Amino acid sequence: MGKKQAGTGPLSRRPDNSAFKQQRLPAWSPSLTANTVLPTFYILSLVCLLLGIWLLITVENTHELKVDYTNAGTCEECFNLRKSPNDSTTACTCTVSFHVPTTFPGDVFFYYGLRNFHQNLRRYMDSRDDAQMVGRKNNLKTPSSYCAPFDYDADRNPIAPCGAVANSMFNDSLTVMYNLMDGSKIQVPLYRKGIAWYTDKNVKFRNPSTNNTFPLQQAFEGTTRPLYWQRPVYELDDTDSNNNGFINDDLIVWMREAAFPNFKKLYGVLNRAQGPFTEGLPAGNYTLSINYNFPVEPFRGRKELVISTVTWFGGQNYFLPIAYLVTSGLILVTAVVLTTVYVKVGKRGKNMEE
Amino acid sequence: CFSSSAAAHIGVGISGQEGIQAVLASDYSFSQFRFLQRLLLVHGRWSYLRMCRFLCYFFYKNFAFTMVHFWFGFFCGFSAQTVYDQYFITLYNIVYTSLPVLAMGLFDQDVPEQRSLEYPKLYEPGQLNLLFNKREFFICIAQGIYTSVVLFFIPYGVLSHATQSNGVPLADYQTFAVTTATALVIVVSVQIALDTGYWTAINHFFIWGSLGTYFTILFAMHSSILFNIFPKQFHFLGSAHNTLGQPVVWLTIALATVICIAPVLAFRFLKLDLKPQLSDTVRYTQLVLQKKQKPCGRVGRGVGGG
Repeated sequence: MGKKQAGTGPLSRRPDNSAFKQQRLPAWSPSLTANTVLPTFYILSLVCLLLGIWLLITVENTHELKVDYTNAGTCEECFNLRKSPNDSTTACTCTVSFHVPTTFPGDVFFYYGLRNFHQNLRRYMDSRDDAQMVGRKNNLKTPSSYCAPFDYDADRNPIAPCGAVANSMFNDSLTVMYNLMDGSKIQVPLYRKGIAWYTDKNVKFRNPSTNNTFPLQQAFEGTTRPLYWQRPVYELDDTDSNNNGFINDDLIVWMREAAFPNFKKLYGVLNRAQGPFTEGLPAGNYTLSINYNFPVEPFRGRKELVISTVTWFGGQNYFLPIAYLVTSGLILVTAVVLTTVYVKVGKRGKNMEE
Repeated sequence: CFSSSAAAHIGVGISGQEGIQAVLASDYSFSQFRFLQRLLLVHGRWSYLRMCRFLCYFFYKNFAFTMVHFWFGFFCGFSAQTVYDQYFITLYNIVYTSLPVLAMGLFDQDVPEQRSLEYPKLYEPGQLNLLFNKREFFICIAQGIYTSVVLFFIPYGVLSHATQSNGVPLADYQTFAVTTATALVIVVSVQIALDTGYWTAINHFFIWGSLGTYFTILFAMHSSILFNIFPKQFHFLGSAHNTLGQPVVWLTIALATVICIAPVLAFRFLKLDLKPQLSDTVRYTQLVLQKKQKPCGRVGRGVGGG
């Protein structure tokens, strides 16, 4: 590959005769001929059709129910109460009745849904301190400036957890009661833990270390609660130290910002250990009882309870199966058009011959 | 002599007995007049072709990448929130999509050099500005915008109501970011694969390598090692594993790819069928010739698909 003649001589400055430098590298020159393109389109259409049908059948097996409780039932009063921040410390509870038409078999998931709440605003998403939430002592006492104005309170005490995301945490408590035949009501038991991502719960959010020698409250000494919260972060779940402080499941679920203004977040999973819930959620009348705290009127939002079953594909999501079916149809139409053009107008490839 | 070089596109100097003054003033120089034929018909032609394909692809991939933010603006209150991870934005043009188009710009050939010399009429598209003009430019842009529409609205439609099989919703920002970014890289890689007309080993290495690099860097940056060093910088912890482990996400990416690429294939096939250029005809003849030279039907060097 080196120069054939070195130094002086009539051909000494000739470039290398290598495949790379003379652009003779071995290569594949593909061409869009009818033999490849037309079968590709037909096969693509078939694959999309099969996928669409399969996904549609899978989604048909899911059940979903939404209960908008913003101002339904007796919640009108609470809705009006929460319109202004003056009475924010006054408790308000209300109930909404709803009906489950068919039994929801298997595992049933309960979500709280918000509409028109933009967790995807740029300044909102920047307003958090991940270093503080991972338990670093420095960042606990000196929150990031991105959290402003939710970094220090009026007395210059650092806020833990800082930022607008934590501050606006969803704080309604939802209790679902099942109306039994004899008129009494039993509470539908929910698992309220294990609802966050594994990496979030175990790596991304960590309490400041206590060395197991002193209580969590002491680790948060010198900080104060976020302005909109009623309890400090170390009292989010007094009963379980694995769910208290920064590693509280509800806090973690809220801190994972939604991409779009209408979203739902996991609240709990049906506990199927006992009673009428061993097979799932039985059909019948239910009552939703709410500790109504989260105000939605200022941003014209709505709140709802969503109950859903899942398959390997997820919850009830018709978009993908229908999109696949529509795509399959369009590709089939294109394939037929291309074949017709190729046969009738394109003279079966005669144009390509000279 | 001076006025003709001012009116011309390139200046060519011939170094010889009369000295090297022309060589110093010219863009290209060689030693014998007969080399001018190869300079124009082979290298000049290829250079024009490569430049036009490179430009069109560059505009396309950047419009596809950027316009997604425009559509997202309607859903994020126009607050200029980016759709992708900050590091993806930095590395997209430098690492994930630069080498394949560079390889195409260096090595692409539509017809082999012998055919270029045999058919001087192949030089005409360069003279008539056929491969990159206002019309071609707008087509590239339109394709980029169409791709951005698909790349935003298909993940939006699917993920806004999707959940994992363990009930946890997939509608969070980081899942959406990873899905859209992965779909984008795959779609533009398929597009460069369609645009590349001459696949050398280097093209293969760059295209597959860029895809591989994307996934490697993605998983590296979403790992707990980097998070534990710089939590605020690498806050996408766990997203790659959680997102790309979901069948819903891969089905979404596959659908987006099909919707982006199928119209391109259809248009190009129609164009080849109804209005083939001389270069297409020569290329096709070359294909047929090479197939005839291999009667057993073995696929060898330079034989194309079909």
